Amino acid sequence: MNIVMYAGMTYGLTAIISLVVIALIVVMNKFLGGNSQENKEDMN
Amino acid sequence: MNFLMQLFPGIGSFFVQDPIIIGARIVLIILGFVLAYYGYKRTLEPLIMVPMGLGMICINTGVLFLANGQTGTLFLNPLIADPTSLINIMQVNFLQPIYNFTFSNSLVACMVFLGIGAMCEIGFIVCNPWTSIIIAIFAEAGTFFTLIMGVWCGLTPNEAVAVASIGGADGPMVLFTSLMAAPELFVPISVIAYLYLSLTYAGYPWLVKWMVPKKYRGMDILVDMPEVSKKSKFIFIVISCGVLCLLLPMAAPLIMSFFLGMAIKESEIVPYQELVENTVLYMATLLLGLLLGCLCEATTLLNPKVFIIVILGILALTVSGVVGIIGGWVVYWCKGGKNFNPVVGIAGVSCVPSTAKIAQHAVEDENPFAVVLPVAMGANIGGVIVSAVACGVMLSTLGFLQ
Repeated sequence: MNIVMYAGMTYGLTAIISLVVIALIVVMNKFLGGNSQENKEDMN
Repeated sequence: MNFLMQLFPGIGSFFVQDPIIIGARIVLIILGFVLAYYGYKRTLEPLIMVPMGLGMICINTGVLFLANGQTGTLFLNPLIADPTSLINIMQVNFLQPIYNFTFSNSLVACMVFLGIGAMCEIGFIVCNPWTSIIIAIFAEAGTFFTLIMGVWCGLTPNEAVAVASIGGADGPMVLFTSLMAAPELFVPISVIAYLYLSLTYAGYPWLVKWMVPKKYRGMDILVDMPEVSKKSKFIFIVISCGVLCLLLPMAAPLIMSFFLGMAIKESEIVPYQELVENTVLYMATLLLGLLLGCLCEATTLLNPKVFIIVILGILALTVSGVVGIIGGWVVYWCKGGKNFNPVVGIAGVSCVPSTAKIAQHAVEDENPFAVVLPVAMGANIGGVIVSAVACGVMLSTLGFLQ
């Protein structure tokens, strides 16, 4: 694998894993009854 | 019988010791249990009695056979025949044992991360989760750009990964990654990284002024802190820690340290919180600074690769800052230009809390009443998570480049 492909792959993986962790936080927040500012803006 | 004694030396030692010693051990084990239990019940002082009771139990149960045939424990008795030789190797004059026990195994990075975790407020990222993480992902671009440039400049993939970690602008992460990927370049990379990180406070405000026109810089953000209970925050922390360790075992020590610090804060164990926030963090930072200085021998810094690292380090932080602010603009446009300030983009560079403060100061210069700090801190903590993920991903996948 050349370095450009490798950098692209690792950047993509980093983004996906970070988004998964945040999605988990958002889901847990809803599940446990919390409410983020972004959710409130969506509701408005 | 001999096999069983080797297999279970704690039990086996009861068959070879003097009967008086055996009796005293049993009494002390029982006494240890009594002290720990009444400490837990608050009948006795828990801060002393719980650890003292446990220590008493462990020292009297965990007995094994040492190299010289005598019995002892790993808590107090060295397993080598001549402890003096160990002392000579370690050169217990001053810094050598600290280097061996905390630097060469990257424990110091974990200690600093533990302290940072105890100072982070997860509520900031729960407040604006998607905004924070998207900005942080943009601001990690410098890492991957520098990775490519490093290989093109003639570094090996491992060395390029170690240098690229400067782009995350996270000191402990740079230490950890460089020790794991390229220990031979750990000293110049760490010294240059910390030098540049201290320069961000001077350089990034100019970048913000250059990339965000004056009329946008003073925009206020209405911040509504989320309604999240302590219990919920604690559950987020534990689950996030578990998921990240599961996904990135190579960075598990750092991930665990960071989330352990957060867990201590949220569970309000005040003595541990004070210990971690003050003693552990400041002690680790003091030793870090002192040892990095002492490691700067002329021969180390005359390595021809140091010049490449100097160039790549500044490149990494510049690209991360520029792309972070571009991320701020992307979020601003996605929100239709409402209730967001693109200056926050700089806070995606995870130099906690320096870049968040830079964002707030840049906004304050134009509008003294504007407050963006809570949103900037969210991006900042997002940056720490993304740089930990990036470090784990690169270390786990280095084999693809071999």
